[in-house]
Amino acid sequence: MTTIIDCMAVGKSFKGKSAVKDLSFQMKKGEVVALLGPNGAGKSTTIQMLLGLMEPSVGRVTISGQNPKLKAVRERIGVMLQEVRLLDTVTVKEILQLVRGYYPRPLSMEQLTRLTGLDESSLNTRTEKLSGGQKQRVSFALALAGNPDMLFLDEPTTGMDAIARKTFWKSIRELAERGTTIIFTTHYLDEVEVAATRVLMMNHGELIEDATPAMMKKKLGMQRISFLTDAVYRPETYQGLAATDIRIDGKKVTILTGNADHSLKILYALELEISEVTVNRGTLEEAYSQLTDSPEVS
Amino acid sequence: MKILWNECWLEALRVFRNRYFIFWSLIMPIVFYVFYTKVMVQDVGDPKLWEKHLLMSMAAFSVMGSSIMTLGLRLVQERNQGWTTYLKTTPVSGAVYFIAKMAGQTSVHIFTISVIFTSGGLINGISMPAIEWITAGMWILIGAIPFLALGGLIGTMKKSDTASGVSNLIYLALAVTGGMWMPMEFMPKLLQQVAQWIPSYQYAAGAWSIIRGEAPGLVGILVLIAYTVVFMILSIQRRRMQEAI
Repeated sequence: MTTIIDCMAVGKSFKGKSAVKDLSFQMKKGEVVALLGPNGAGKSTTIQMLLGLMEPSVGRVTISGQNPKLKAVRERIGVMLQEVRLLDTVTVKEILQLVRGYYPRPLSMEQLTRLTGLDESSLNTRTEKLSGGQKQRVSFALALAGNPDMLFLDEPTTGMDAIARKTFWKSIRELAERGTTIIFTTHYLDEVEVAATRVLMMNHGELIEDATPAMMKKKLGMQRISFLTDAVYRPETYQGLAATDIRIDGKKVTILTGNADHSLKILYALELEISEVTVNRGTLEEAYSQLTDSPEVS
Repeated sequence: MKILWNECWLEALRVFRNRYFIFWSLIMPIVFYVFYTKVMVQDVGDPKLWEKHLLMSMAAFSVMGSSIMTLGLRLVQERNQGWTTYLKTTPVSGAVYFIAKMAGQTSVHIFTISVIFTSGGLINGISMPAIEWITAGMWILIGAIPFLALGGLIGTMKKSDTASGVSNLIYLALAVTGGMWMPMEFMPKLLQQVAQWIPSYQYAAGAWSIIRGEAPGLVGILVLIAYTVVFMILSIQRRRMQEAI
Protein backbone atom coordinates (compact mmCIF):
# COMPACT_ATOMS: atom_id res chain seq x y z
CA MET A 1 0.00 0.00 0.00
CA THR A 2 1.25 3.44 -0.86
CA THR A 3 1.96 6.09 1.73
CA ILE A 4 -0.38 9.03 1.24
CA ILE A 5 0.36 11.28 4.17
CA ASP A 6 3.86 11.53 5.54
CA CYS A 7 4.42 13.60 8.63
CA MET A 8 8.15 13.75 9.38
CA ALA A 9 9.43 14.92 12.78
CA VAL A 10 7.05 17.85 12.73
CA GLY A 11 7.01 20.43 15.48
CA LYS A 12 5.22 23.72 15.94
CA SER A 13 5.65 26.37 18.55
CA PHE A 14 3.76 29.59 19.10
CA LYS A 15 5.69 32.38 20.80
CA GLY A 16 8.13 29.90 22.31
CA LYS A 17 5.36 27.59 23.57
CA SER A 18 5.36 24.31 21.75
CA ALA A 19 1.99 23.03 20.55
CA VAL A 20 3.25 19.97 18.66
CA LYS A 21 6.49 18.15 19.40
CA ASP A 22 8.41 15.78 17.15
CA LEU A 23 5.36 14.25 15.51
CA SER A 24 6.00 11.47 13.01
CA PHE A 25 3.48 9.17 11.40
CA GLN A 26 2.45 7.90 8.01
CA MET A 27 -0.93 7.15 6.56
CA LYS A 28 -1.52 4.60 3.86
CA LYS A 29 -4.15 4.72 1.16
CA GLY A 30 -7.60 3.80 2.45
CA GLU A 31 -6.79 4.17 6.13
CA VAL A 32 -9.33 5.83 8.38
CA VAL A 33 -7.48 7.44 11.25
CA ALA A 34 -9.08 8.88 14.36
CA LEU A 35 -6.88 11.56 15.88
CA LEU A 36 -7.72 11.77 19.56
CA GLY A 37 -6.60 13.73 22.56
CA PRO A 38 -7.81 16.16 25.20
CA ASN A 39 -8.41 19.82 24.35
CA GLY A 40 -5.13 21.55 23.64
CA ALA A 41 -3.38 18.31 22.75
CA GLY A 42 -2.39 19.70 19.34
CA LYS A 43 -4.90 17.93 17.11
CA SER A 44 -6.15 20.97 15.22
CA THR A 45 -2.63 22.33 14.86
CA THR A 46 -1.61 18.97 13.40
CA ILE A 47 -4.48 18.99 10.89
CA GLN A 48 -3.63 22.54 9.87
CA MET A 49 -0.01 21.58 9.28
CA LEU A 50 -1.02 18.51 7.27
CA LEU A 51 -3.06 20.84 5.08
CA GLY A 52 -0.28 23.39 4.72
CA LEU A 53 -2.42 26.07 6.35
CA MET A 54 0.24 26.37 8.99
CA GLU A 55 3.95 26.08 8.40
CA PRO A 56 5.69 23.61 10.80
CA SER A 57 8.47 25.19 12.88
CA VAL A 58 10.52 22.04 12.24
CA GLY A 59 10.02 18.93 10.14
CA ARG A 60 8.09 18.40 6.95
CA VAL A 61 4.70 17.20 5.73
CA THR A 62 4.07 15.64 2.33
CA ILE A 63 0.88 14.41 0.72
CA SER A 64 1.52 11.82 -1.99
CA GLY A 65 5.13 12.94 -1.78
CA GLN A 66 4.20 16.54 -2.60
CA ASN A 67 3.92 19.82 -0.79
CA PRO A 68 0.34 20.05 0.58
CA LYS A 69 0.03 23.59 -0.75
CA LEU A 70 0.24 22.49 -4.39
CA LYS A 71 -2.84 22.85 -6.54
CA ALA A 72 -2.49 19.21 -7.64
CA VAL A 73 -2.85 18.15 -3.98
CA ARG A 74 -5.71 20.55 -3.25
CA GLU A 75 -7.70 19.12 -6.13
CA ARG A 76 -7.65 15.73 -4.41
CA ILE A 77 -8.48 16.66 -0.82
CA GLY A 78 -11.67 17.56 1.02
CA VAL A 79 -11.64 19.48 4.26
CA MET A 80 -13.91 20.27 7.20
CA LEU A 81 -12.33 22.75 9.57
CA GLN A 82 -13.52 24.05 12.91
CA GLU A 83 -14.65 27.65 13.07
CA VAL A 84 -15.46 28.08 9.42
CA ARG A 85 -18.68 29.93 8.84
CA LEU A 86 -20.28 29.44 5.46
CA LEU A 87 -20.40 32.27 2.98
CA ASP A 88 -23.67 34.12 3.65
CA THR A 89 -26.44 35.60 1.47
CA VAL A 90 -26.19 32.59 -0.84
CA THR A 91 -28.33 29.46 -0.96
CA VAL A 92 -26.91 26.04 -0.20
CA LYS A 93 -27.30 25.08 -3.85
CA GLU A 94 -25.40 28.15 -5.01
CA ILE A 95 -22.49 27.61 -2.66
CA LEU A 96 -22.26 23.92 -3.61
CA GLN A 97 -22.30 24.73 -7.32
CA LEU A 98 -19.63 27.37 -6.78
CA VAL A 99 -17.30 25.03 -4.90
CA ARG A 100 -17.95 22.10 -7.27
CA GLY A 101 -16.71 24.40 -10.00
CA TYR A 102 -13.31 24.65 -8.29
CA TYR A 103 -12.51 20.99 -8.99
CA PRO A 104 -11.71 19.12 -12.19
CA ARG A 105 -13.88 16.06 -11.41
CA PRO A 106 -16.61 17.13 -8.96
CA LEU A 107 -19.21 14.84 -7.44
CA SER A 108 -22.67 15.27 -8.93
CA MET A 109 -25.28 17.22 -6.97
CA GLU A 110 -27.31 14.00 -6.64
CA GLN A 111 -24.42 12.17 -5.00
CA LEU A 112 -23.67 15.11 -2.73
CA THR A 113 -27.22 15.40 -1.48
CA ARG A 114 -27.45 11.65 -0.97
CA LEU A 115 -24.18 11.37 0.96
CA THR A 116 -24.91 14.37 3.17
CA GLY A 117 -28.67 13.92 3.56
CA LEU A 118 -29.41 17.48 2.45
CA ASP A 119 -32.98 17.74 1.23
CA GLU A 120 -34.49 19.88 -1.50
CA SER A 121 -35.81 22.52 0.89
CA SER A 122 -32.45 23.08 2.58
CA LEU A 123 -30.78 23.29 -0.83
CA ASN A 124 -32.86 26.38 -1.52
CA THR A 125 -32.27 27.93 1.90
CA ARG A 126 -29.79 30.72 2.49
CA THR A 127 -26.82 29.48 4.51
CA GLU A 128 -27.31 32.02 7.34
CA LYS A 129 -30.79 30.62 8.01
CA LEU A 130 -29.67 27.00 8.55
CA SER A 131 -29.50 25.30 11.94
CA GLY A 132 -26.12 24.33 13.35
CA GLY A 133 -26.54 20.70 12.29
CA GLN A 134 -27.62 21.65 8.76
CA LYS A 135 -24.59 23.91 8.46
CA GLN A 136 -22.36 20.96 9.34
CA ARG A 137 -24.04 18.92 6.62
CA VAL A 138 -23.30 21.68 4.13
CA SER A 139 -19.68 21.82 5.31
CA PHE A 140 -19.48 18.08 4.76
CA ALA A 141 -20.94 18.53 1.28
CA LEU A 142 -18.30 21.17 0.56
CA ALA A 143 -15.60 18.74 1.67
CA LEU A 144 -16.96 16.10 -0.72
CA ALA A 145 -17.64 18.50 -3.61
CA GLY A 146 -14.40 17.74 -5.43
CA ASN A 147 -14.76 13.95 -5.16
CA PRO A 148 -11.66 13.80 -2.95
CA ASP A 149 -9.22 10.90 -2.42
CA MET A 150 -8.42 12.23 1.05
CA LEU A 151 -10.60 13.76 3.74
CA PHE A 152 -9.40 15.89 6.64
CA LEU A 153 -12.19 16.32 9.17
CA ASP A 154 -11.66 18.38 12.31
CA GLU A 155 -14.51 17.60 14.72
CA PRO A 156 -16.94 17.01 11.88
CA THR A 157 -19.96 16.04 13.97
CA THR A 158 -19.95 18.98 16.39
CA GLY A 159 -23.44 20.47 16.36
CA MET A 160 -25.03 17.58 14.46
CA ASP A 161 -28.11 15.91 15.85
CA ALA A 162 -28.34 12.12 16.19
CA ILE A 163 -29.83 11.58 12.71
CA ALA A 164 -27.32 13.82 10.97
CA ARG A 165 -24.52 12.05 12.81
CA LYS A 166 -25.79 8.67 11.71
CA THR A 167 -26.02 9.71 8.05
CA PHE A 168 -22.58 11.22 8.34
CA TRP A 169 -20.84 8.07 9.59
CA LYS A 170 -22.74 5.90 7.14
CA SER A 171 -21.36 8.00 4.32
CA ILE A 172 -17.88 7.99 5.81
CA ARG A 173 -17.94 4.18 5.82
CA GLU A 174 -19.14 4.16 2.24
CA LEU A 175 -16.32 6.49 1.22
CA ALA A 176 -13.79 4.41 3.15
CA GLU A 177 -14.96 1.31 1.26
CA ARG A 178 -14.31 3.16 -1.98
CA GLY A 179 -10.72 3.68 -0.81
CA THR A 180 -10.87 7.26 0.45
CA THR A 181 -8.14 8.02 2.97
CA ILE A 182 -9.63 9.77 5.99
CA ILE A 183 -8.30 11.48 9.11
CA PHE A 184 -10.71 12.91 11.67
CA THR A 185 -10.79 14.26 15.20
CA THR A 186 -13.66 13.65 17.58
CA HIS A 187 -14.77 13.79 21.18
CA TYR A 188 -16.93 10.68 20.94
CA LEU A 189 -15.56 7.23 21.56
CA ASP A 190 -18.39 5.46 19.73
CA GLU A 191 -17.50 7.37 16.56
CA VAL A 192 -13.99 5.99 16.76
CA GLU A 193 -15.29 2.43 16.93
CA VAL A 194 -17.76 2.93 14.13
CA ALA A 195 -15.40 4.43 11.61
CA ALA A 196 -11.70 4.23 12.37
CA THR A 197 -9.22 1.57 11.29
CA ARG A 198 -6.48 3.16 13.36
CA VAL A 199 -6.26 5.49 16.30
CA LEU A 200 -3.61 8.11 16.95
CA MET A 201 -3.65 9.74 20.32
CA MET A 202 -1.96 12.96 21.26
CA ASN A 203 -1.34 14.61 24.58
CA HIS A 204 0.62 17.79 25.26
CA GLY A 205 1.56 17.98 21.58
CA GLU A 206 3.08 14.51 21.47
CA LEU A 207 1.93 11.30 19.88
CA ILE A 208 1.36 8.92 22.77
CA GLU A 209 -0.53 6.07 21.13
CA ASP A 210 -0.75 4.50 17.69
CA ALA A 211 -3.12 1.56 17.91
CA THR A 212 -6.15 -0.22 16.51
CA PRO A 213 -9.58 0.86 17.76
CA ALA A 214 -9.94 -2.48 19.59
CA MET A 215 -6.72 -1.95 21.51
CA MET A 216 -7.70 1.60 22.21
CA LYS A 217 -11.10 0.62 23.43
CA LYS A 218 -9.55 -1.76 25.90
CA LYS A 219 -7.30 0.98 27.10
CA LEU A 220 -9.83 3.79 27.05
CA GLY A 221 -13.11 1.95 27.15
CA MET A 222 -13.97 2.99 30.65
CA GLN A 223 -17.34 1.94 31.95
CA ARG A 224 -19.29 3.91 34.48
CA ILE A 225 -21.27 2.12 37.17
CA SER A 226 -23.55 4.36 39.15
CA PHE A 227 -26.08 3.66 41.90
CA LEU A 228 -27.94 5.34 44.73
CA THR A 229 -27.48 4.59 48.38
CA ASP A 230 -29.05 5.99 51.54
CA ALA A 231 -26.28 4.72 53.74
CA VAL A 232 -23.10 6.80 53.91
CA TYR A 233 -20.26 4.50 52.99
CA ARG A 234 -16.70 5.72 53.07
CA PRO A 235 -14.74 5.53 49.78
CA GLU A 236 -12.64 2.74 51.26
CA THR A 237 -15.74 0.55 51.18
CA TYR A 238 -15.44 0.32 47.43
CA GLN A 239 -11.82 -0.68 47.39
CA GLY A 240 -11.31 -3.95 45.62
CA LEU A 241 -13.78 -3.04 42.85
CA ALA A 242 -10.93 -2.61 40.37
CA ALA A 243 -12.10 0.98 40.00
CA THR A 244 -9.93 3.64 38.48
CA ASP A 245 -12.01 6.42 39.98
CA ILE A 246 -14.75 6.73 42.57
CA ARG A 247 -17.00 9.77 42.93
CA ILE A 248 -19.48 10.23 45.74
CA ASP A 249 -22.03 12.97 45.30
CA GLY A 250 -24.61 12.83 48.09
CA LYS A 251 -26.65 9.70 47.52
CA LYS A 252 -25.16 9.06 44.12
CA VAL A 253 -22.01 7.00 43.72
CA THR A 254 -20.17 6.69 40.43
CA ILE A 255 -17.43 4.20 39.80
CA LEU A 256 -15.21 4.20 36.73
CA THR A 257 -13.80 0.85 35.80
CA GLY A 258 -12.13 -0.96 32.95
CA ASN A 259 -14.06 -4.14 33.65
CA ALA A 260 -17.66 -3.61 34.66
CA ASP A 261 -18.56 -7.30 34.91
CA HIS A 262 -15.85 -7.92 37.44
CA SER A 263 -16.62 -4.77 39.42
CA LEU A 264 -20.33 -5.55 39.57
CA LYS A 265 -19.67 -9.05 40.86
CA ILE A 266 -17.62 -7.67 43.72
CA LEU A 267 -20.10 -4.85 44.35
CA TYR A 268 -22.99 -7.28 44.81
CA ALA A 269 -20.83 -9.56 46.95
CA LEU A 270 -20.42 -6.63 49.36
CA GLU A 271 -24.19 -6.77 49.98
CA LEU A 272 -24.55 -3.02 50.38
CA GLU A 273 -27.81 -1.06 50.65
CA ILE A 274 -27.83 0.16 47.05
CA SER A 275 -30.45 0.72 44.38
CA GLU A 276 -30.85 1.78 40.74
CA VAL A 277 -27.60 0.35 39.48
CA THR A 278 -26.76 1.45 35.94
CA VAL A 279 -23.80 0.75 33.73
CA ASN A 280 -22.76 3.25 31.05
CA ARG A 281 -19.99 3.57 28.60
CA GLY A 282 -17.52 6.16 29.89
CA THR A 283 -16.73 9.20 27.74
CA LEU A 284 -13.46 10.00 26.06
CA GLU A 285 -13.06 12.97 28.40
CA GLU A 286 -13.08 10.60 31.36
CA ALA A 287 -10.46 8.48 29.67
CA TYR A 288 -8.34 11.55 28.98
CA SER A 289 -8.53 12.67 32.56
CA GLN A 290 -7.18 9.25 33.50
CA LEU A 291 -4.36 9.72 31.04
CA THR A 292 -3.46 13.20 32.14
CA ASP A 293 -3.69 12.31 35.81
CA SER A 294 -1.26 9.43 35.46
CA PRO A 295 1.87 10.48 33.58
CA GLU A 296 3.23 6.93 33.53
CA VAL A 297 0.60 5.93 30.95
CA SER A 298 2.69 7.14 28.03
CA MET B 1 -12.07 31.14 -16.51
CA LYS B 2 -15.30 29.35 -15.60
CA ILE B 3 -14.36 29.61 -11.93
CA LEU B 4 -13.82 33.34 -12.30
CA TRP B 5 -17.18 33.77 -13.98
CA ASN B 6 -19.08 31.71 -11.33
CA GLU B 7 -17.36 33.50 -8.50
CA CYS B 8 -18.01 36.88 -10.09
CA TRP B 9 -21.68 36.12 -10.75
CA LEU B 10 -22.29 34.90 -7.21
CA GLU B 11 -20.47 37.90 -5.81
CA ALA B 12 -22.71 40.28 -7.78
CA LEU B 13 -25.76 38.33 -6.64
CA ARG B 14 -24.67 38.66 -3.03
CA VAL B 15 -24.25 42.41 -3.36
CA PHE B 16 -27.78 42.77 -4.73
CA ARG B 17 -29.17 40.73 -1.86
CA ASN B 18 -27.62 43.13 0.61
CA ARG B 19 -30.21 45.60 1.87
CA TYR B 20 -27.57 48.15 2.93
CA PHE B 21 -26.27 48.22 -0.57
CA ILE B 22 -29.70 48.79 -2.08
CA PHE B 23 -30.37 51.58 0.41
CA TRP B 24 -27.05 53.42 0.32
CA SER B 25 -26.07 52.87 -3.28
CA LEU B 26 -29.37 52.98 -5.12
CA ILE B 27 -32.11 54.63 -3.07
CA MET B 28 -30.11 57.33 -1.26
CA PRO B 29 -28.43 58.84 -4.34
CA ILE B 30 -31.73 59.01 -6.19
CA VAL B 31 -33.53 60.52 -3.18
CA PHE B 32 -30.77 63.13 -2.80
CA TYR B 33 -31.00 63.86 -6.47
CA VAL B 34 -34.72 64.48 -6.37
CA PHE B 35 -34.35 66.55 -3.21
CA TYR B 36 -31.67 68.87 -4.61
CA THR B 37 -33.18 69.30 -8.07
CA LYS B 38 -36.90 69.36 -7.28
CA VAL B 39 -37.42 70.34 -3.65
CA MET B 40 -34.52 72.46 -2.47
CA VAL B 41 -33.34 74.03 -5.69
CA GLN B 42 -30.27 76.19 -5.16
CA ASP B 43 -29.37 79.18 -7.26
CA VAL B 44 -26.45 77.82 -9.22
CA GLY B 45 -26.83 79.57 -12.53
CA ASP B 46 -27.76 77.29 -15.40
CA PRO B 47 -30.31 74.86 -13.92
CA LYS B 48 -29.93 72.29 -16.75
CA LEU B 49 -26.18 72.16 -16.22
CA TRP B 50 -26.68 71.83 -12.45
CA GLU B 51 -29.02 68.88 -12.98
CA LYS B 52 -26.43 67.12 -15.10
CA HIS B 53 -23.64 68.08 -12.71
CA LEU B 54 -25.50 66.70 -9.69
CA LEU B 55 -26.42 63.52 -11.53
CA MET B 56 -22.71 62.85 -12.04
CA SER B 57 -22.07 63.63 -8.37
CA MET B 58 -24.70 61.15 -7.28
CA ALA B 59 -23.49 58.35 -9.55
CA ALA B 60 -19.94 58.92 -8.31
CA PHE B 61 -21.19 59.05 -4.71
CA SER B 62 -22.95 55.73 -5.14
CA VAL B 63 -20.11 53.88 -6.81
CA MET B 64 -17.50 55.31 -4.44
CA GLY B 65 -19.61 54.14 -1.51
CA SER B 66 -20.05 50.58 -2.62
CA SER B 67 -16.36 50.37 -3.57
CA ILE B 68 -15.25 51.44 -0.10
CA MET B 69 -17.89 49.72 1.97
CA THR B 70 -19.01 46.52 0.29
CA LEU B 71 -15.66 45.16 -0.80
CA GLY B 72 -13.73 46.02 2.37
CA LEU B 73 -16.37 44.66 4.72
CA ARG B 74 -16.75 41.46 2.72
CA LEU B 75 -13.03 40.81 2.93
CA VAL B 76 -12.92 41.38 6.69
CA GLN B 77 -15.98 39.22 7.33
CA GLU B 78 -14.86 36.35 5.17
CA ARG B 79 -11.47 36.32 6.83
CA ASN B 80 -12.87 36.47 10.36
CA GLN B 81 -15.43 33.78 9.64
CA GLY B 82 -12.78 31.38 8.38
CA TRP B 83 -14.08 31.25 4.82
CA THR B 84 -10.78 32.58 3.50
CA THR B 85 -8.99 29.79 5.39
CA TYR B 86 -11.34 27.22 3.90
CA LEU B 87 -10.66 28.56 0.40
CA LYS B 88 -6.94 28.00 0.94
CA THR B 89 -7.63 24.27 1.15
CA THR B 90 -9.36 24.32 -2.25
CA PRO B 91 -7.63 24.57 -5.64
CA VAL B 92 -8.78 28.19 -6.05
CA SER B 93 -5.95 30.68 -5.83
CA GLY B 94 -6.12 33.81 -3.74
CA ALA B 95 -5.64 35.90 -6.86
CA VAL B 96 -8.71 34.43 -8.60
CA TYR B 97 -10.77 35.03 -5.47
CA PHE B 98 -9.66 38.64 -5.28
CA ILE B 99 -10.07 39.35 -9.00
CA ALA B 100 -13.53 37.77 -8.93
CA LYS B 101 -14.51 40.00 -6.03
CA MET B 102 -13.33 43.06 -7.97
CA ALA B 103 -15.03 41.94 -11.17
CA GLY B 104 -18.28 41.18 -9.35
CA GLN B 105 -18.14 44.60 -7.78
CA THR B 106 -17.49 46.22 -11.16
CA SER B 107 -20.48 44.54 -12.76
CA VAL B 108 -22.60 45.78 -9.88
CA HIS B 109 -21.26 49.27 -10.58
CA ILE B 110 -22.25 49.05 -14.24
CA PHE B 111 -25.74 48.29 -13.05
CA THR B 112 -25.92 51.11 -10.49
CA ILE B 113 -24.54 53.67 -12.93
CA SER B 114 -27.16 52.65 -15.48
CA VAL B 115 -29.97 52.86 -12.94
CA ILE B 116 -28.92 56.26 -11.59
CA PHE B 117 -28.31 57.72 -15.04
CA THR B 118 -31.64 56.44 -16.31
CA SER B 119 -33.66 57.62 -13.34
CA GLY B 120 -31.92 61.01 -13.34
CA GLY B 121 -32.47 61.35 -17.03
CA LEU B 122 -36.16 60.56 -16.64
CA ILE B 123 -36.72 62.72 -13.56
CA ASN B 124 -35.27 65.88 -15.08
CA GLY B 125 -35.47 65.05 -18.76
CA ILE B 126 -31.71 65.35 -19.20
CA SER B 127 -30.46 65.00 -22.71
CA MET B 128 -26.80 64.57 -23.56
CA PRO B 129 -25.01 63.15 -26.58
CA ALA B 130 -24.67 59.37 -26.24
CA ILE B 131 -20.89 59.69 -26.23
CA GLU B 132 -21.05 61.88 -23.12
CA TRP B 133 -23.29 59.44 -21.25
CA ILE B 134 -20.94 56.59 -22.13
CA THR B 135 -17.67 58.34 -21.35
CA ALA B 136 -19.08 59.73 -18.09
CA GLY B 137 -20.23 56.23 -17.13
CA MET B 138 -16.85 54.75 -18.05
CA TRP B 139 -15.05 57.42 -16.05
CA ILE B 140 -17.15 56.70 -12.96
CA LEU B 141 -16.57 52.97 -13.41
CA ILE B 142 -12.80 53.11 -13.91
CA GLY B 143 -12.21 56.09 -11.66
CA ALA B 144 -13.52 53.95 -8.79
CA ILE B 145 -10.27 51.93 -8.76
CA PRO B 146 -8.62 54.00 -5.98
CA PHE B 147 -11.74 53.50 -3.85
CA LEU B 148 -11.70 49.77 -4.51
CA ALA B 149 -8.08 49.82 -3.37
CA LEU B 150 -9.19 51.76 -0.28
CA GLY B 151 -11.83 49.06 0.29
CA GLY B 152 -9.06 46.48 0.04
CA LEU B 153 -7.06 48.41 2.63
CA ILE B 154 -10.07 48.55 4.96
CA GLY B 155 -10.36 44.81 4.26
CA THR B 156 -7.11 44.24 6.16
CA MET B 157 -8.68 45.46 9.41
CA LYS B 158 -9.15 42.86 12.10
CA LYS B 159 -12.69 43.50 13.34
CA SER B 160 -15.66 43.96 11.08
CA ASP B 161 -17.24 46.49 13.47
CA THR B 162 -14.18 48.72 13.26
CA ALA B 163 -14.05 48.29 9.52
CA SER B 164 -17.70 49.19 9.17
CA GLY B 165 -17.38 52.30 11.35
CA VAL B 166 -14.20 53.49 9.68
CA SER B 167 -15.48 52.93 6.17
CA ASN B 168 -18.73 54.79 6.87
CA LEU B 169 -16.79 57.73 8.27
CA ILE B 170 -14.35 57.87 5.38
CA TYR B 171 -17.17 57.52 2.88
CA LEU B 172 -19.21 60.42 4.23
CA ALA B 173 -16.13 62.61 4.75
CA LEU B 174 -15.03 61.98 1.16
CA ALA B 175 -18.52 62.68 -0.17
CA VAL B 176 -18.75 66.05 1.59
CA THR B 177 -15.17 67.24 1.00
CA GLY B 178 -15.31 66.08 -2.60
CA GLY B 179 -18.21 68.41 -3.33
CA MET B 180 -20.56 65.56 -4.19
CA TRP B 181 -23.40 66.90 -2.08
CA MET B 182 -22.81 70.59 -2.56
CA PRO B 183 -20.90 72.51 -5.20
CA MET B 184 -17.35 73.39 -4.19
CA GLU B 185 -18.08 77.12 -4.51
CA PHE B 186 -20.32 76.88 -1.43
CA MET B 187 -17.61 75.24 0.64
CA PRO B 188 -15.17 76.99 3.03
CA LYS B 189 -12.18 78.65 1.35
CA LEU B 190 -9.66 76.35 2.98
CA LEU B 191 -11.40 73.25 1.63
CA GLN B 192 -11.55 74.74 -1.84
CA GLN B 193 -7.79 75.19 -1.75
CA VAL B 194 -7.00 71.59 -0.83
CA ALA B 195 -9.86 70.07 -2.85
CA GLN B 196 -7.71 69.07 -5.76
CA TRP B 197 -5.72 66.74 -3.49
CA ILE B 198 -8.87 64.96 -2.33
CA PRO B 199 -9.52 61.80 -4.38
CA SER B 200 -13.30 62.07 -4.25
CA TYR B 201 -13.16 65.60 -5.64
CA GLN B 202 -10.95 64.58 -8.55
CA TYR B 203 -13.13 61.56 -9.15
CA ALA B 204 -16.33 63.59 -9.42
CA ALA B 205 -14.55 66.44 -11.22
CA GLY B 206 -13.63 64.10 -14.07
CA ALA B 207 -17.30 63.38 -14.69
CA TRP B 208 -18.20 67.05 -14.31
CA SER B 209 -15.68 67.89 -17.03
CA ILE B 210 -17.07 65.25 -19.37
CA ILE B 211 -20.64 66.57 -19.21
CA ARG B 212 -19.29 70.04 -20.00
CA GLY B 213 -17.72 68.60 -23.12
CA GLU B 214 -14.20 68.71 -21.70
CA ALA B 215 -11.69 65.96 -21.02
CA PRO B 216 -10.87 65.14 -17.36
CA GLY B 217 -7.79 67.04 -16.20
CA LEU B 218 -4.40 65.35 -16.18
CA VAL B 219 -3.75 66.42 -12.58
CA GLY B 220 -6.94 64.68 -11.53
CA ILE B 221 -5.95 61.44 -13.24
CA LEU B 222 -2.50 61.56 -11.65
CA VAL B 223 -3.95 62.23 -8.20
CA LEU B 224 -6.27 59.21 -8.54
CA ILE B 225 -3.41 56.98 -9.72
CA ALA B 226 -1.24 58.15 -6.83
CA TYR B 227 -3.96 57.29 -4.29
CA THR B 228 -4.42 53.86 -5.89
CA VAL B 229 -0.71 53.12 -5.57
CA VAL B 230 -0.56 54.32 -1.98
CA PHE B 231 -3.62 52.31 -0.90
CA MET B 232 -2.31 49.19 -2.63
CA ILE B 233 1.14 49.46 -1.08
CA LEU B 234 -0.38 49.98 2.36
CA SER B 235 -2.69 46.99 2.09
CA ILE B 236 0.06 44.72 0.74
CA GLN B 237 2.26 45.79 3.64
CA ARG B 238 -0.48 45.18 6.19
CA ARG B 239 -1.20 41.75 4.70
CA ARG B 240 2.48 40.83 4.87
CA MET B 241 2.66 41.92 8.48
CA GLN B 242 -0.38 39.85 9.38
CA GLU B 243 0.91 36.75 7.63
CA ALA B 244 4.28 37.03 9.35
CA ILE B 245 2.70 36.46 12.76
